Amino acid sequence: MASKTDRQTWETFVRRPGDLREGIETPMVLRDLTPGKHKYQMRHVVAVLSRDPRETEDLLRVRTVVGVLLPETWGLKIIRALPTELPGRPYHDFYDALRRAAVSGD
Amino acid sequence: MFSDTRDFIEALHAAGDLHEIEKEVHWDLELGAVSRLACEKDGPALWFKRITDYPAGITAFVNPMATWRRVAVAFGLPPDASLKEIYAEYEKREGQLIAPVTVAGGPCKEMIRRGADIDLYDFPAPMLHDGDGGRYLGTWDMAVCRDPETNWVNWGMYRFMVYDSLHLTGFPRPTSHLGKVFQDHYVAKNRPMPMALVIGADPISHFTASATYHIGGEEAALAGGLRGAPVELVRCETNDLLVPAHSEIIVECDVLPDCAGLEGPYGEYPGYRTGEMGNGIFCRVSAVTHRKNPILTVDATGYRDDSSTITALTGAIAIKRRLERHGIPVMDVNVPREGAVHLAVIAVKYGGKQMSREILETLTSRRALLSKIFLVEPDVDVYDIGKVLHAFSTKCHPAHGIHVVHYEGRANTLTPCYSQGERALQKGATALYDCTWPGEWSREWEVPVQATFDSIFSDSTKEKVLANWKSYGFKD
Repeated sequence: MASKTDRQTWETFVRRPGDLREGIETPMVLRDLTPGKHKYQMRHVVAVLSRDPRETEDLLRVRTVVGVLLPETWGLKIIRALPTELPGRPYHDFYDALRRAAVSGD
Repeated sequence: MFSDTRDFIEALHAAGDLHEIEKEVHWDLELGAVSRLACEKDGPALWFKRITDYPAGITAFVNPMATWRRVAVAFGLPPDASLKEIYAEYEKREGQLIAPVTVAGGPCKEMIRRGADIDLYDFPAPMLHDGDGGRYLGTWDMAVCRDPETNWVNWGMYRFMVYDSLHLTGFPRPTSHLGKVFQDHYVAKNRPMPMALVIGADPISHFTASATYHIGGEEAALAGGLRGAPVELVRCETNDLLVPAHSEIIVECDVLPDCAGLEGPYGEYPGYRTGEMGNGIFCRVSAVTHRKNPILTVDATGYRDDSSTITALTGAIAIKRRLERHGIPVMDVNVPREGAVHLAVIAVKYGGKQMSREILETLTSRRALLSKIFLVEPDVDVYDIGKVLHAFSTKCHPAHGIHVVHYEGRANTLTPCYSQGERALQKGATALYDCTWPGEWSREWEVPVQATFDSIFSDSTKEKVLANWKSYGFKD
């Protein structure tokens, strides 16, 4: 669990306004905003979000499908990691692959 | 002719078309912002010498051919060659194919990294635009792949994003040559496709990778013909693909047939960041080879980027050839720079409804990258956008002169005016604006006479006025 000093900031992209919901396990792609040459490295996770970030939670910034940064910052708790090589179909919706991986427990 | 990026940089320096930046610049947005502004000012190519988080010696060369002057230099022409001269030179050389030669080694093998030694973040892939999906290592690149049935090797310039130290995602469109080879021969058989991402080859090799070239055509031989000398190729370390030996960086990878990743959104060549996101391909890197002190080549993608010259030029000639093959009486084609490879101006001997339909069908039957076509008569200079706009404004009938074809499964999903729903279905349309006089109109009785000096006066009047021009008090 993150402490106030080492809380991390992540960013994600969503297709539609209602794609993120509070309090339920949500499969998502995160990118790490830690400064340095590895900044923006991607991760696939299942996480639980909160609209009012607690001090013990990581922070999540959200961008839309056209890359616009939304004003709200969410609280984020990573429940488990999903594989980087996520089973899915090329040229098909990546978010479907994320949802399937979360359900199958991969 | 140039054998590598370094020779080309020297030539641009000599021509006054290179700006070297010694001040440290951050790869995270600063490099992209400087490069974008330089591009929009029609500025020189940029060579960033010091990049934050990276050791001295790792540099970035940006916007290699984003002006016609730099295209001329790449072709060995005088930097001030006119657009018509550059088009004519390309047309002259494109039919002279010279096969590549295979060599045992080359500068791109100076450093070889495999397995745990691979870290894609060792190269300063920039975050080019605020809000892009990631850092793009592949912008001024060429992806090499092979059709396993015919052994046809394709070179294509496509965007590739760093996912983590070992993975890339990319968006060669599904209708692209790479997309077609991958889907038909690898996804269908659930096999990974070997691919090599080449960064910093000689300028003409990149030019041909971005060229609109026919399926089955070997870009390597086209590059040889355009250069007037064969391209030297060397075998990859982990697959049997051949890559230009004098390249700066080679990323060898497998494109996975059963994996997905986030790709995009990305500020693209149409000048917008559309919602094209999460529909690309996913690659696992198997080796990286590079020169000492590698130069990362970058296209600061967006309005009037490198595609506005090179893709436009090759696209125009490809359109002309395709129309000729289909018996269309085409005279000239221009894909104007400001049209972001979405607009073509086509001069034909005669227009009309049937001709318009034939042209639309010919140019949209496999994939449809153009969304607007201006059809003009030969008296309109297709390179003079003012004259083209005048013809469009005055000769295109608003009710009968606009012809539209609709399609699904082959539209350009990067076209900004399409909705997210249309993008998902690759659904779109191309409109042709017929700016020619109806063929059935009588030249004596119906076709309006153009009210210009050239058209509305007799030869004797024109000759008299021209002969006396300075006597009227004019200097020029």
